[in-house]
Amino acid sequence: MVDLKQLAYERKNIMAFLFIASFLKGAAMIGQALFFVWIADGVFLKNASFEEVLPYLYGLFGAILLRVACGYAIGRSGVNLAAEVKMDLRKKLIASFASNPLQASIQGQSGQKVSLLLDAVDELDGYFSKYIPQMVQSYIIPILLLAVIFSQHWVTGVIILITAPFIPVFMALVGIKTKEKADQQMEKLGQFSGTFLDVLQGLTTLKLFNQADRQKQTIQKSSLDFRDATMEVLKSAFLSSLMLEYISMLSMGIIALEIGLRLVVFDSLTFFTAFFVMILVPDFFNMLKDFGSAFHTGKGSTAAANRLSAHLEKETPAVEWGAGTLSNDPPHLLLQDLTFQYGESFKLGPINTEILPYSQFAIIGKSGSGKTTLLHAIAGLLPLSSGAVRVNGISREQIDEKSWFDQLSYISQSPYLFAGTIKENIAIGAGREAADDEIWEAAAKAGIGEMVGSLKHGLDTQIGEAGRGLSGGEKQRIALARAFLKQPSIVLFDEPTTGLDLQTEKILQQSIAELGKQATVITVAHRLHTIKQSDAILILSEGQLAAAGSHNDLLETYAPYGVMLEIQHGGIVQ
Amino acid sequence: MTELKQTLLLTLREKRDVALAIFFGFLAGIAGAALMASSGYLISKAALTSQMTILIVMGACLKLFGLVSALSRYAERLFSHRATFTMLSNLRVSFFEKLSPLAPGIFQKYRSGDLLARIVGDVENLQNFLLRVFYPPVVLAIVFISTIFFTSYFSFAIAMVVLVGMLLTIVAVPAIFAWRQRRIDSAVRASRAELSTEATEFLYGFRDLKIYQQLDRKKQDLTTFSERYGEQQRKEGFEENLGQSVNAFVALLASFFVLGLGAYFVAEGQLDGLYLAMLVMISLAVFENVAPMAVFPAHFEENRKAAARLDQVVSEPVQAAGDAELPLNTLDIKLENVSYTYPEEERQAIEGVSLRLAPGSKTAIVGPSGSGKSTLLQLLLNILPADSGTISIGGEPLAALDPEKLWQRMNVVLQENHFFFGTIRSNLLIANEAATDEEMEAALAKVQLGPFSLSSKVNEKGENLSGGEKQRLAIARAILRGESLWLLDEPVSSVDSVTAKAIYRQLFERGKDDTFVIISHDLTGLEQMDQIIVMERGRIVEAGPYEEIMEKQGHFFKLKQIEKSIFA
Ligand SMILES: Nc1ncnc2c1ncn2[C@@H]1O[C@H](COP(=O)(O)OP(=O)(O)OP(=O)(O)O)[C@@H](O)[C@H]1O
Ligand SMILES: Nc1ncnc2c1ncn2[C@@H]1O[C@H](COP(=O)(O)OP(=O)(O)OP(=O)(O)O)[C@@H](O)[C@H]1O
Ligand SMILES: [Mg+2]
Ligand SMILES: [Mg+2]
Repeated sequence: MVDLKQLAYERKNIMAFLFIASFLKGAAMIGQALFFVWIADGVFLKNASFEEVLPYLYGLFGAILLRVACGYAIGRSGVNLAAEVKMDLRKKLIASFASNPLQASIQGQSGQKVSLLLDAVDELDGYFSKYIPQMVQSYIIPILLLAVIFSQHWVTGVIILITAPFIPVFMALVGIKTKEKADQQMEKLGQFSGTFLDVLQGLTTLKLFNQADRQKQTIQKSSLDFRDATMEVLKSAFLSSLMLEYISMLSMGIIALEIGLRLVVFDSLTFFTAFFVMILVPDFFNMLKDFGSAFHTGKGSTAAANRLSAHLEKETPAVEWGAGTLSNDPPHLLLQDLTFQYGESFKLGPINTEILPYSQFAIIGKSGSGKTTLLHAIAGLLPLSSGAVRVNGISREQIDEKSWFDQLSYISQSPYLFAGTIKENIAIGAGREAADDEIWEAAAKAGIGEMVGSLKHGLDTQIGEAGRGLSGGEKQRIALARAFLKQPSIVLFDEPTTGLDLQTEKILQQSIAELGKQATVITVAHRLHTIKQSDAILILSEGQLAAAGSHNDLLETYAPYGVMLEIQHGGIVQ
Repeated sequence: MTELKQTLLLTLREKRDVALAIFFGFLAGIAGAALMASSGYLISKAALTSQMTILIVMGACLKLFGLVSALSRYAERLFSHRATFTMLSNLRVSFFEKLSPLAPGIFQKYRSGDLLARIVGDVENLQNFLLRVFYPPVVLAIVFISTIFFTSYFSFAIAMVVLVGMLLTIVAVPAIFAWRQRRIDSAVRASRAELSTEATEFLYGFRDLKIYQQLDRKKQDLTTFSERYGEQQRKEGFEENLGQSVNAFVALLASFFVLGLGAYFVAEGQLDGLYLAMLVMISLAVFENVAPMAVFPAHFEENRKAAARLDQVVSEPVQAAGDAELPLNTLDIKLENVSYTYPEEERQAIEGVSLRLAPGSKTAIVGPSGSGKSTLLQLLLNILPADSGTISIGGEPLAALDPEKLWQRMNVVLQENHFFFGTIRSNLLIANEAATDEEMEAALAKVQLGPFSLSSKVNEKGENLSGGEKQRLAIARAILRGESLWLLDEPVSSVDSVTAKAIYRQLFERGKDDTFVIISHDLTGLEQMDQIIVMERGRIVEAGPYEEIMEKQGHFFKLKQIEKSIFA
């Protein structure tokens, strides 16, 4: 639970400072009122000359200066407090994004998560920069003022004591309703950002399907919904300040009447006391009013804090790691009763198989049969439901994460190109600084060297978002080059040659074969000719192991394999 | 200020709410001042006389002014906020309207996280335009001018003090701070966009970052950006706080001078002491209202920048679109000597391509990766405009057609397709809003996605579907379109051959008379096509039916030889 108040009190120095500054500010306010009254009383009733009141004017100036200085210091501390808490929370959020397991990372909308990081955290600002300083001030200043008022004219004090408690009661009443509405509003804001990013990404698709207009209406609707949700929150905030205003006005009216009565009828009060009290009372209520509006800002922050808590506390099964290390030699891999299930849906396994060091291992099967899932499980991206991946006899869970990934290259089915240069995008595979000629070599092995060479800026061409566009096959080859840069001992390829012509595919086959001299290569493929030479081929069907063996074994023992091969060679466009 | 013109126009569209907000704002300010003034006056008066009527008048005045002030404040807030949020919604829509024609080219200029920050953050920022920039000075000026008139009746000099105070607090101080703001260039919006951009990419590229163990490094980067944003915000907060304090100081100073001057005049006998308390109270009350002006400079600058940043995105030149309708009969497509070069590229991506797609014909486009196949398809779709040459559909030049009408007549599968967060159903309905559940289920069955239920969840970008399932879902979408012109860009490249074959059979059986254009790297089975187009480096190097181009022993023949050697 993100407890905002606690976050504030954790920063003791700032809080202590706030208390001291508030005390001084209260004193300055009293001083200011006092000087005001002395001067007015002096020239109005006591017929003092201007020279006589001049010292009071200096005093007044001093009081004003002190008041403003304290206000400035309080405001500055509030800003500091807010900035620190926000930076802290953002750090936590980023850490939680980073430590997410893969499965959790694809849940929800990215836009919503970005909105959490930006909007929800910013929403907390008001709590620390406005509410907390105001709260501290309203602990101290009203009490100071009240004490002075009591000392001057106790009846006024009593009237305030009777009327003021209505304020927190009203605020609490309105506040409870606000909270609900603020929660709704926060949720709507998150939804809005989430949808928006999704729409942006799919704008071309939407246009092609003539949905751009409808989308416009959706945006309008969700934006008006958001307006209404916000107005609901604001309305109650406004209502509560109306109530505050009304109560304070009522109270001031009674006080004025009482003072007037004494002044006019009983003559039992001096102008000095009356005027003094009349200046202090509005100050008193202004403090409460300020607190009231800060209170509402604070309530809005609480809704945002809840959204943050919900995210930070979400439990997801994580992939476990240990401390063992791997050598540079390809390990012996053994899948023992490996199973994995996506929530309640698709179930993979149990799968038992052995992958020998330096072997070429292939996984084939119909689309949706679980090939990618199996690669993810082997790579340690998904937590197994049961069973184990044994690496040189020990469970993968006992191996150090870094050591494991240092030995592994995985080119996934839809690799992501980052906004940056081609060089950066290839070098990311090595996880270290790479020299240009190494990168050129990797690019050549992936069959993209020539194309990159023909570009004006060569390796320094910007690609990815906000960069030069590439053809489908070119993107694929840039990603493939990542694998050739590193010297891993296990390589996982998920359909490496999708979208490539046969000529390019041939180049790649050679490079992959070369890679296989120092590594175990596990390939998922639809184009069966690319994996014919494999030492072992695994056939998956609806998540189950249907058959395994070499190309020739399978031809003999597993009839569907022959059919698959035939269809592929006989052509599919029929 | 020109940057904010559009925002101002959109704001003024909410005429009624804006006018009401200004009216009630004025009323609240004036009633507040009147309340304080009357209490000051009446206390002084009461100190001198002992008439009961004073008390009665006092009670009545306090009640009346207090009530008016409180209610007006409430109304003012309600109207101003409503106007603001309606304006925001209009702004979002108008921004989207302008953005939509810019896709897909816009993504080569901007990163999506940046666009998100702009459209959510910057637009959000403009909500302060009415509330904190446009109307506080207006309301304050009216309140002050009325007050000055009133005070000048008692003392001209004091009225001048109020005037000077007003000029300082609502003109001079904000102007100085606005100037400072511009100079120190608190780049809050920019650093926010930076953070948004990086965070978005972090989330999108998560899997690859994890595999390459770059999560830690990127996390560091992201934290740095977040800290930079935090520091900018802190700087902005300090500046705002300083502005607030200076403003408060000037306001108190004004009351100080009112009192000092008043005391002097009273002592000198130039002003009746009876009014002194009243004048002081008035100045305390009106200057209490200037607090909002303290945040004016920051908001003004930020608004200006936000509006400029928004404008920058949508001011890209838009490809001119025609509005002609497509003829209803079958569509004959002709390309003549078409060339295209991507912006900022030297090499032509498509070079002098001529081609005819007769109604009902089946065409395959083959060629190495990067030879311009997808580009050609995008030219046909009028997503990219040809630099030279003509493309005509059904006799109409493409450029004269309304693109929406054009797309309505095609079943398209692009090389990369987007899937939205939602369900299978919501993703299919995009293609055909009127499709019934039965039709959708039939389309799913045709692409062998039968086991999926329509209400199965689809994650953002279809991340919870397998590669082949995504492609098949895209084909199902095209099937639901139900038109007779098919443009398919490597539609089954990630689908196994058994499934792919079954899907093609379905398509061709149903669309015997339909026109098909299929881009593929698979050279098998092309015997069935009416026309095979071989592309290389942006040119068509060979075209014709299978037998014919095999006989030539040219490019296609060579490709087939490679295939043979691989399959052997
Ligand atoms: N993140 C996920 N959450 C839930 N279900 C998933 C997820 N990813 C994949 N699936 C489902 O699991 C099944 C297997 O998917 P997988 O990606 O492993 O298939 P595949 O064999 O690689 O197929 P293809 O050849 O089409 O890439 C599919 O039915 C798919 O819908
Ligand atoms: N947005 C772009 N900006 C600049 N150049 C581009 C852009 N998109 C593609 N290109 C270039 O234009 C050429 C043709 O690309 P296109 O996408 O048409 O190839 P393709 O034949 O479809 O290839 P593939 O089979 O790999 O999909 C390529 O050299 C590519 O690098
Ligand atoms: Mg897959
Ligand atoms: Mg292409």
